[in-house]
Amino acid sequence: MEKEKKVVETNPAQEKTADQIIKENTALRDAEIKELKRKNEAELKQRLASTDSKEERKRIKEQNKVDLYNQISEIKNKYNDLLAHSLPSGANKDKRHMGMKSKRIIGNTTIYIILIIMTFIWLFPFVCILLQSFRVESTHMVGYIIPKQWGFDNYINLFTKKAFNDGGFGRWYFNTLIISIFVALIQTIIVLCMSYTLSRIRFKGRKFLMNFMLILGMFPGMLTMIILYRVLKDMGLTESHAIPGLILVYVASSGMGYYVSKGFFDTLPKSLDEAARVDGANRAQVFFKVILPLSKPIVIYTLLTAFMGPWGDYIFATYVAHHEETGMNVAVGLQNLISSEQSINANYTMFCAGGVLVAIPITILFMILQKYYVEGVTGGAVKG
Amino acid sequence: MASVKLTDVKKIYQGNVVAVHDFNLDIKDKEFIVFVGPSGCGKSTTLRMIAGLEEISEGTIEIDGVVVNDLQPKDRYISMVFQNYALYPHLTVFENMAFPLRLLRPRMPNAEIYKRVTQAAEVLGITQYLTRKPKALSGGQRQRVAIGRAMVKDCKVFLMDEPLSNLDAKLRNQMRAEIILLRKKIDTTFIYVTHDQTEAMTLGDRIVIMKDGFIMQVGSPTEVFDHPNNLFVAEFIGAPKMNIVKSQLLKEGDKYYVNPFGSKIEVGGAKGKQLLAKNVETQDILLGFRPEHVRLEQNPSASNFKVTLEVNEMMGSELHLHVVAEDGSKLIVRIPTIQLNDKEREEMVYGKELYLSFEGKVMHFFNPETEISLLSNQESPQKSDLKQDVPEE
Amino acid sequence: MKTYSDLEYLRLNKFQKFLYKVARFFVGIPRWFLNLFIAIGNFFAKAGIYIKDEVVDVFMTFKNGDWKTRLSYVIVGFGSIARGQLLRGFLFLIFEIIFILYTALYGWYWIAQMGTLGTKGPYKYYDPDWDTYVTKYYDDSFKILLYSILSIFFIVAFLYTWRLNIKQNAIAQDILDTPARKALNKECKAEVKNYLSSHPDYKKPDNEAVKDEIAKINEKYDALIAGLKPDNLKAYKKMVKENNASRASEIAELKKQNKVELKQQLLTIETKQERKKLIKDNKQSLGERIAEIEMKYGDKASEFSRDFNLNYNHEKRELEQERKFLIKCAKDGKEVSDIKNEYRKKVEACGKPLVSDKQDLESMLDNQFHKTLLALPVTGIVIFTVLPIFFMILVAFTNYCAANDGHFNNLFTWVGLENFNTLLNWNTGSKAYSAAFGEILGWTLIWAFFATFSNYFLGMFVAIMINKKGIKLKKVWRTILVLTIAIPQFISLLYVSKMFADNGFIKAWLVNYFGVSPKFSFIGDAAEPWVARLTVILINIWIGIPYLMLIATGILMNIPSDLYESAQIDGANVWQQYTKITLPYMLFVTGPYLLTSFIGNMNNFNVIYLLTGGAPKIGDVGGAAGNPGYTDLLVTWLFKITQSDGAYYNMASVIGILVFIIVSVISLIVFNIMPSTRNEEDYQ
Repeated sequence: MEKEKKVVETNPAQEKTADQIIKENTALRDAEIKELKRKNEAELKQRLASTDSKEERKRIKEQNKVDLYNQISEIKNKYNDLLAHSLPSGANKDKRHMGMKSKRIIGNTTIYIILIIMTFIWLFPFVCILLQSFRVESTHMVGYIIPKQWGFDNYINLFTKKAFNDGGFGRWYFNTLIISIFVALIQTIIVLCMSYTLSRIRFKGRKFLMNFMLILGMFPGMLTMIILYRVLKDMGLTESHAIPGLILVYVASSGMGYYVSKGFFDTLPKSLDEAARVDGANRAQVFFKVILPLSKPIVIYTLLTAFMGPWGDYIFATYVAHHEETGMNVAVGLQNLISSEQSINANYTMFCAGGVLVAIPITILFMILQKYYVEGVTGGAVKG
Repeated sequence: MASVKLTDVKKIYQGNVVAVHDFNLDIKDKEFIVFVGPSGCGKSTTLRMIAGLEEISEGTIEIDGVVVNDLQPKDRYISMVFQNYALYPHLTVFENMAFPLRLLRPRMPNAEIYKRVTQAAEVLGITQYLTRKPKALSGGQRQRVAIGRAMVKDCKVFLMDEPLSNLDAKLRNQMRAEIILLRKKIDTTFIYVTHDQTEAMTLGDRIVIMKDGFIMQVGSPTEVFDHPNNLFVAEFIGAPKMNIVKSQLLKEGDKYYVNPFGSKIEVGGAKGKQLLAKNVETQDILLGFRPEHVRLEQNPSASNFKVTLEVNEMMGSELHLHVVAEDGSKLIVRIPTIQLNDKEREEMVYGKELYLSFEGKVMHFFNPETEISLLSNQESPQKSDLKQDVPEE
Repeated sequence: MKTYSDLEYLRLNKFQKFLYKVARFFVGIPRWFLNLFIAIGNFFAKAGIYIKDEVVDVFMTFKNGDWKTRLSYVIVGFGSIARGQLLRGFLFLIFEIIFILYTALYGWYWIAQMGTLGTKGPYKYYDPDWDTYVTKYYDDSFKILLYSILSIFFIVAFLYTWRLNIKQNAIAQDILDTPARKALNKECKAEVKNYLSSHPDYKKPDNEAVKDEIAKINEKYDALIAGLKPDNLKAYKKMVKENNASRASEIAELKKQNKVELKQQLLTIETKQERKKLIKDNKQSLGERIAEIEMKYGDKASEFSRDFNLNYNHEKRELEQERKFLIKCAKDGKEVSDIKNEYRKKVEACGKPLVSDKQDLESMLDNQFHKTLLALPVTGIVIFTVLPIFFMILVAFTNYCAANDGHFNNLFTWVGLENFNTLLNWNTGSKAYSAAFGEILGWTLIWAFFATFSNYFLGMFVAIMINKKGIKLKKVWRTILVLTIAIPQFISLLYVSKMFADNGFIKAWLVNYFGVSPKFSFIGDAAEPWVARLTVILINIWIGIPYLMLIATGILMNIPSDLYESAQIDGANVWQQYTKITLPYMLFVTGPYLLTSFIGNMNNFNVIYLLTGGAPKIGDVGGAAGNPGYTDLLVTWLFKITQSDGAYYNMASVIGILVFIIVSVISLIVFNIMPSTRNEEDYQ
């Protein structure tokens, strides 16, 4: 019985309680249905026996099924109506079974519980890193979380242990900063050029170009690393001069990441372009004067993602820096700190401190520009 | 039997915004009720409370004698047609219409589902679209599918939330007629929400006119048209709007007079007797008269007043004359074209002076402060109860 | 097989429908293959026809070409220069010179060696001066391969340019040699001759007179051009100003109205979310209406401008051309130059002239703007992506590794399909490699599948939870989850990997409080393969949910809410609403994203490498380089191979190629099955 039943305040003076009424009603109804089914079965047997053709029998069975269903529904409705009217009506709000409101409250509470658990799980590692970075009493990994002695030693050590020019944390940070800034600027320009063209201008070979880049993207990026490293080496752009080399490699192929920006440009109405062209603007003017001013969200999104990229790139940066510490970025440098058994014991907390220092500015940037990021991801990414 | 009874139903939003005040209504079985009113008057909210999509803050709603306040929508035996059709885009028309039937437990046999859907499709004339998807249908066809989906269930109350607002004018007229036919085929209670008073008047057995969450008047179309309870209803029903002018109601002995724009017109007939029975005294009133009830007179007299013609709209079978009275108030007069001969029609140009008069039986009297009709017999919210107009910044 | 009509199909119940669909699928397979063959056949046929057309065209152009065209076959760009298109001509010419110089000096050398990839390896000899063995380095296989590919690219580019040049010549010739033009030129010459013969005392002006004449012409035309402006300019400016004013006022009026309406509507909305949605919708519709107004006025403005500009520019250009021509003919004397001018006008009317240099430059910012914009990005991609990929594909057919690094240790040469053999154990390959390959391939596919779909559904679930009516602090929950994206992966992954390591505190906690055996390992070397794999998947969920949640939130907000309400009324419970409304919608919109996500996960280097480094190791793979582990993906194995002692780049390339093949096959299949590409308009 899925129907909600009304409930009445148990009043001993009343003849029958609501429960009793419901029970009676159900019993009567089920009895009638059983009787009906029994009769129906007998009838059905008779009718089936009266014919020989398989087709006819099938049809009779189908028809019978439908008829039976309808009859049972009628009975059910009859008893439901009876029930609804035999229970005293009133405007009371005590319900024994869950009404809509209580169902909702339970649902929401469960959700809150899940969300709180999730918050804990998600934030836990970062809280740990943060706490570990203040630990002073030891520098290796330990089994507890909260430091016994607090202090800024790890942070200080990061910068003082190795001088800037020798390749200490400060150097790595600086390197990565430079790389990020250049990459952000150049990559944005390249990506914008690429995505605008592919989005707005229908030129011969456009489809071919897009498919070609799609196929290129299916090759694992690892492969190209080796040869790029060789080329950079021949040009002298590795090890201590890794920075220009890295910048060059990052921006050169960045045109392939045009999807999100293109999606964004697709949403701008074409009538803007057309109006400008009729006014006499050539394509270049349309781009600079009409489209770009409207593209603030996507420009910021591209700048942001381009800026955040180099901070996390480990693989290629390792290759190019090739153990030369003045050429490392933060990812490589920090990884190096804990790469071997001894070094991890000596540098674990420094690693945490370094991680915090890297994470904070990026997180702040990200939060500030979160609105643009969300617009970018949801607006462009899924339309592909 | 599917009567619907709303008792003291209130809807209060967060921040103490009252959307629906003390809604009381008894809907009889198989009645076609229309909720009508301007945007934001609470008609959709009330409908949704009946459907179970909004929570009822106070009061009770009973369907067929059963209090449904806490029942899920699916347990209330209702069907609903939405303004935006709400068709499932990835299902075919057949599947859209079969959707509610497939959710029934115990399962309805496939043959039965097929029968019901095809029957409904035949009634609505969409049998050839059964295998298409909604995107391949026009607005009117989609509307029919939405209605079909609501039809296939056994339901006690059939709810419709502004179903025709998204259609163009011509289609709207067509669908209106179809809904009237539909009503004969599905013999159940209808509750229909619209903002268009024409739809309300043509479709409803009874109309509920709402504003700002209050019921301004409940009655049959004729009642509401002939005896508006308050100024709002008077102006809302009927197009073009009723003319409202400031005037005085003078009681002289047993007779009553009104004096718009310096004229003096007697309130004769039944209206006069009613005023007498209520012992109405001399007072300032707002006088209302409909454009089609005005008489054009050629010569000035005590019982008519002068107006100047500004715009003459030729509507075909009638002329809509926009005139200006002496104090600058703008009025509208509707004259059947055949009432004027050619010469008179030619003279109806800008600046022509006309003299208007009307009889007592077409007059409506409203209290200027409460805006309630002096002859009303229903309780009605006063002007002060309603929300004030939003001031512009 | 019985085919049902549409209505009959509807009568069937769910099971019968399913059987029918399956039967139809199998019946349709032979047809599908047939279509595939036909498609392939068509492709080759088209390619063949294309090549044939090109060759025929080259021949015909030569046959019909005048001497300028024919010379261009050898001296690229000559035709353009000779016909006045200096810019293009010189560009072609310079390119040809560069190409010839390069190929002759360098390219030839590299390409010649391509077959052998170097013959002279490092050579150790005894140097008596230093009394030790010294190595002298000769050929460099790496460089040979690299630069020969570069040279081949260059050759292809040159061929394309050469072909372009031929086409240009053909077009130019067509334009300049139309019969009409030829006839007119002939007539002109005849008439001049006539005139001169009928006026025997006609004298050509001397230098002084010519200079005078030129000065007079300049004066006349300067005045004419200056005179073009005043007429229209004032009126034009006035119209523009009025237009702008009325547009601004209409927009202001609209905005005012809209504000009032919006306020009224807002008063009846309950939840903050609906309010926000209403505001957003209103903003959008307001924007649309404003755009309409703008367009209306824009149309008007363009009408004015079109009239003004067209006339003005057009007339100005004509006057300029006339002036130039007259100056050129000034030395012929006034009458003759007048005759020539008449004919010039007639020829102009014949058809469009050749594109001038100035127009070429202008079109770089206009018609050809896409080329301008794409030049730099595409060059970058070609040099830094296409070239390396070509190189690495070729490396797969060599024996390039640490021992044969091409220069310092030993040269490397072609080995054909031997590497594929080794990997896949076709004939006599090493069992170690193929076993490892099979294991890792299987895991890569499983991982990609689970990583993608677990994140997808869980992310959607979280988004739905947060989005539910009645949940407060929506923004707070989202921000907390989104923090994970902000923090660079290498920090979070590295730290989490340390947390789950054998001496990390999660294990410590489990051992101390739950009595788990100390030998248990999550992702260390001693871990059970499937424990490690499961751990990796779980941690990946931790990383991936915030992204998916963001995307899902954006999409969820776009599903019209009355779909849900209608389903509620029809009796659907929460789960049914999810499967019949939310899920189809989401799957449709994010179909392409799922595919790219799947592929991305197959190549998801970061997560695996930083978390486990591939551990635990696969046992019996002595011989296979790179120490493949149970959690290794193909890409991480690839990387490890290149980092190992043997540095088997060739094997890495083979793996890379195989990855590519697998990925492209999957993409093709999925792309063709996905409903998004078939039923695109369902949701619009």
